[in-house]
Amino acid sequence: MHISEGILSTPVWVAGYVGTAVLAGITMRKLDMEEVPKISVITSVFFIASLIKVPLGPASIHLILNGLVGVVLGWRAFAAIMLGIILQAIIFGHGGITVIGINSLMLGGGGLIAYMVWQQRHRFSFKKREFVFGALAGAVGTISSGIVLATALITTGEAFNAIAATVLAAHIPIMIIEAAVVGASAEFLHKTKPDILAGRKQPVTQG
Amino acid sequence: MALDIDRYHGVESIINQWDPRVKIAALGIFIISVALLKTIPMAVVAIVMAAVLIRLTALPFHFVSHGLSFVLVFLVPFFLVMPLSYPGAPAFTVLGLGFAWEGLRLATLIFIKALSIVLVTFAIFGSSRFDVSMLALQHLKCPKVVVQMLLFTYRYTFVFLDEMRRMHTSMRARGFVPRTNMRTMNIFGHFVGTLLIRSFERTERVYKAMLSKGYQGELHMLVTFQSHGSDYVKAIVALIVSVFLVAGDFSGKFPQAAQGWY
Repeated sequence: MHISEGILSTPVWVAGYVGTAVLAGITMRKLDMEEVPKISVITSVFFIASLIKVPLGPASIHLILNGLVGVVLGWRAFAAIMLGIILQAIIFGHGGITVIGINSLMLGGGGLIAYMVWQQRHRFSFKKREFVFGALAGAVGTISSGIVLATALITTGEAFNAIAATVLAAHIPIMIIEAAVVGASAEFLHKTKPDILAGRKQPVTQG
Repeated sequence: MALDIDRYHGVESIINQWDPRVKIAALGIFIISVALLKTIPMAVVAIVMAAVLIRLTALPFHFVSHGLSFVLVFLVPFFLVMPLSYPGAPAFTVLGLGFAWEGLRLATLIFIKALSIVLVTFAIFGSSRFDVSMLALQHLKCPKVVVQMLLFTYRYTFVFLDEMRRMHTSMRARGFVPRTNMRTMNIFGHFVGTLLIRSFERTERVYKAMLSKGYQGELHMLVTFQSHGSDYVKAIVALIVSVFLVAGDFSGKFPQAAQGWY
């Protein structure tokens, strides 16, 4: 889900760029050279996985997976999602050049919120913990993006209120599917390669 | 699905011979000027200019039209929803919903602007090799680390896409049919997880190989940029068109697109 070129008024897309610059600046601080390839890998997988179609009744939807990026990359998720958006704008003309800012803010911000939700799992301990919090992260990532998108449309003008409402409603089925897929992914990664996940509690080693 | 935007970068054209640094800067300004437009006549001028630019780029028609088809899918809903949901007095009613000409005009404006900007994007990135475009971005003060990650990501995308296709083939060979149920979602979740792990481990090996070849966080390329007078002439033409568009828009000669659109 992203917003296309030409829709938003100038103050809104400029504000998108400003917000993205601030968040990118904060979340990319102290970036290690070793992290560059890791972030790039996740970005490409995120980019490719958005081509996967999931059937939804008679129609099908594309996965967004910004919640999963948050689960895997933590605070660096913002950078990864921003890069994915830039590439999509350049390669597909999906979204577009002027809306790179607002799209990054919308999906990347969702990724960051998903990570915050994902981190809450440490407070609990039950059998399906990774699935449940992965699913919550996926759901929160999607719906917060939907809210940012709707807000951007509404602030552009009252003529867009109906579109904003439609878009927000369309996010609800997407949210359910994202939750299921991200939950399953998080549980799978926790079982097979837990060190790929973000925000693990390191065991204290002595000596 | 075609991901290689630079497939036809070798096609000889005056855009292809434009110094990428100057090209990105000048056409970037053109894009911003199009994004600022609020009147339909000026947007029409913009799309004509964008079409001329694409013509000069000499990109094959099917390549451009294929790219545009994605954008169209995104924009069609606006034509359906905007006229029927525009606030204010409707001109007439369709199926119980008020139809407002103003809404249709707004949708048309959005459509023309979006199409022009996407055409210009194609002209920019379709006319030089991707890594050259990225290097040009770096010369234009785009942060080095961002440029490098874009290059890595672009390269990996093709590798992982092949990986994903192989995995998908093997899934289908084992009889997987996607449905709307929890089992399918679970399988897709595992699919994405596996793709992530495989890609991750592959890049770890690649990264170690890069380190052993002396990678220190910088990519060295044998590309050097040179700009001549003709590069700047093209840039000036693009700038004049941009100024003309914005000036025509602000002149007040044409009706502005909408109330309710600040």
